[in-house]
Amino acid sequence: MKAAVHVLLLLSLFLAGMNGSGQESDEREELLRQREALNKKIETLRREQDFLLFEKELYAADSKYLLISLGSKAGQLKYKNRVLKDFRFKVSPNLAGSIKPGALTLTKKREDPDQRHVLIFGKSLIIQWKRPARSPDQTDIPRLSLSKSDLQSIFYAVEEGSKAYIMR
Amino acid sequence: MMQIAKKVIELVLLLSLGAAAPSLVWAGDAALPPTIDELREQVHDMEQNAAILEEENRGLRKMLKQIDDNEIYLVVDTESNRLTMRRGNKTMMTAVVGTGSRQFVQEETGRSWYFESPSGSLKVLGKERNPVWIRPDWSYAEENMPVPPENDPDRIVRGVLGKYALILGNGYKIHGTKYTDLLGTHFTHGCISVGDKDLETLYRTVKIGTKVYIY
Repeated sequence: MKAAVHVLLLLSLFLAGMNGSGQESDEREELLRQREALNKKIETLRREQDFLLFEKELYAADSKYLLISLGSKAGQLKYKNRVLKDFRFKVSPNLAGSIKPGALTLTKKREDPDQRHVLIFGKSLIIQWKRPARSPDQTDIPRLSLSKSDLQSIFYAVEEGSKAYIMR
Repeated sequence: MMQIAKKVIELVLLLSLGAAAPSLVWAGDAALPPTIDELREQVHDMEQNAAILEEENRGLRKMLKQIDDNEIYLVVDTESNRLTMRRGNKTMMTAVVGTGSRQFVQEETGRSWYFESPSGSLKVLGKERNPVWIRPDWSYAEENMPVPPENDPDRIVRGVLGKYALILGNGYKIHGTKYTDLLGTHFTHGCISVGDKDLETLYRTVKIGTKVYIY
């Protein structure tokens, strides 16, 4: 009987320790949750800073550029801090998710004989008129489709090397 | 009594093993999980990083906002022949206009002119009521007429530029036109032609110094 009482006493001490480790586990969980939330916050702040630095650079540059908001499917042609043109677009549905936010550089302007203007941003993005001729080597590149008149205005306003910024 | 105590001990042992199970799983992980102190330090560092980023972004936003004045400006799209009056992100007025014809004219002597609207960042340098057109040499060359001397009174033509004009410099203006049917096309000698009503709005709203962006 005495032995049993001793064991019970020892176990109660052990369980008291377990209670302490339960508190530690709660704190760990809370810290992990905070770390996760901070990770997200820092990511958002970094993305915002990337865009603000882009605008800062382009406000000082003598070059027109595009801002493209995937969420609202709307874009702007800008020069320094001035909006020159607003436009709307459609995104190729199967590739919409593959457009990454951030800055892009216009690598090629292509003017096809039937006035199908195409703006190519490397392997990242193509801006085109609604019914473009597709090159077989560019089928996997996400595309934005603009109206013919909007594209024509933008096409002659930008030049190779011009920048675009993609926002979610 | 002993039996009950035994059962209690068994139960307590089972429970304590269950509570220890997660730590047994952790011990099996390749990388050791951070200690509480390490986690506290990580969270503290991340809070500091976030605060620094927030402060930097606030500074950048403030700097950009200072550049983003609330002034009215004009934009001329020479591809679609549209003039827009804007204030920041807001469009205040859109007008169908005429811009440079993109045509060549060559004089017998060999002089030639290309009629294109200027492009770039310009300013309204002056405002005129009842502007007078001083007919330039190309206007005579275009009609195969002999070019008169520079100050010849024949060059002065009234009533063809509408009621108002905004002077952009180098002979270029935003002005009215008799050829309102051609608005929306490339038909001018480089100036921006606007319909009467839109011209009046522009004249009344725009100040000397207003920026004009032509592309």
